[in-house]
Amino acid sequence: MNLESQLIVGAVLFILGMIGFLTRRNLILMILSAELMLHGVSVNLTAFGRQHGNASGQVFTIFVLTIAACEAGLALALILSLYQRRKSLDIFLWGNLGEPDSVKPAEYPPTAEPPAAEYPQLVPTGHVPKMPASVGTSKV
Amino acid sequence: MVWNWLISEWRLILPLVLGWIAVCWLLPQQPSRSRAVGGLLGVAAMLMFGWYHLPLGGDVLRDVMFYVFAFAAVSTATLTITVRNPVYAALWFAVTTLSVCGLFLLNSAPFLATATVIVYAGAIIVTFLFVIMLAQQEGATTYDRHAYQPAAASLLAFLLLSCVLFTLQDWNRGMDADEMPTLIVKDPAVRQKYIRPPEGRAGNALSRPEGDDLGSLRNVGRSLFTDYLYAVEIAGTVLLIATIGAIAIAPRRSRGTFSP
Repeated sequence: MNLESQLIVGAVLFILGMIGFLTRRNLILMILSAELMLHGVSVNLTAFGRQHGNASGQVFTIFVLTIAACEAGLALALILSLYQRRKSLDIFLWGNLGEPDSVKPAEYPPTAEPPAAEYPQLVPTGHVPKMPASVGTSKV
Repeated sequence: MVWNWLISEWRLILPLVLGWIAVCWLLPQQPSRSRAVGGLLGVAAMLMFGWYHLPLGGDVLRDVMFYVFAFAAVSTATLTITVRNPVYAALWFAVTTLSVCGLFLLNSAPFLATATVIVYAGAIIVTFLFVIMLAQQEGATTYDRHAYQPAAASLLAFLLLSCVLFTLQDWNRGMDADEMPTLIVKDPAVRQKYIRPPEGRAGNALSRPEGDDLGSLRNVGRSLFTDYLYAVEIAGTVLLIATIGAIAIAPRRSRGTFSP
């Protein structure tokens, strides 16, 4: 129970989060893996703070916590918005950012069929406002 | 040459290879494999690593607590990234968070442990579960059962981990050349000589911790609002911007609120 063992645990947590981020194809699980990496960093920060005997490590961990909360909120809003477009959480549906006529990369077999995109439809509501006749012709 | 080096460093290389095989085995693939084999390999890797590289310190109770929390954190983190159903992944991540909070307590940060339990296990996990319920009601889907290149990605990650651990080992070997190569310097005299906390580095006289209560709310607050006051303001601004951004990004009804 000393500094190095805490550093090792932090490194292992970071590595596991990295593996999850690289391999999983679910958007939610990728964000969860990023939070796992932040946990590894937090363990390192508090271990160094205890070693140095001041509160800076813990203050940095509080900032990590703040940024993690921001990141989770933004990422989950983004995921919901992406899900409404394709009705799926597969990251491979968003892999092709090129033009439609460009050369496509090799298809990865188990990709699900992308459903048709659902675009918003505007509904006409209210009546057209009438412009006063004097607009544009009045002189100052 | 390389073979001799591999044999001389087997204490570090063998657990890393076992851990790589375990993670690779456990990651979801089709056809699905027996999870017991991967779990046994992973437990063997962790036990071997702990036996050779995490020696007991002086305090038995702290050692036992550290081993329990570290073992729980690493094993549940592995389950988080390997389980197929995202709901279970979020729940295992909550257990990881609790274990990491135990490590925070051992690092004399009780306030931080409480705040992490509230923010992570109380807020972030619940948000994740809400999104999973909104977006994916059917459990594990096809893309959850197929990991993308598990062998290559985990090999890359474990290479990075082995680089970190070998750097730590070399750093410690420079301190006492007579000792067996190990990740942790055990001799207290050598530790006092090389790994000692720097003195007089605390920037502000107000933010220097008083006595032994390093992680108390009083000391953390003093440091937070003297040394890092600008950072606190910026963090508050970032939170506000993230809230507005989340409201702007979040999807609305595609057909308008009122129907004619």
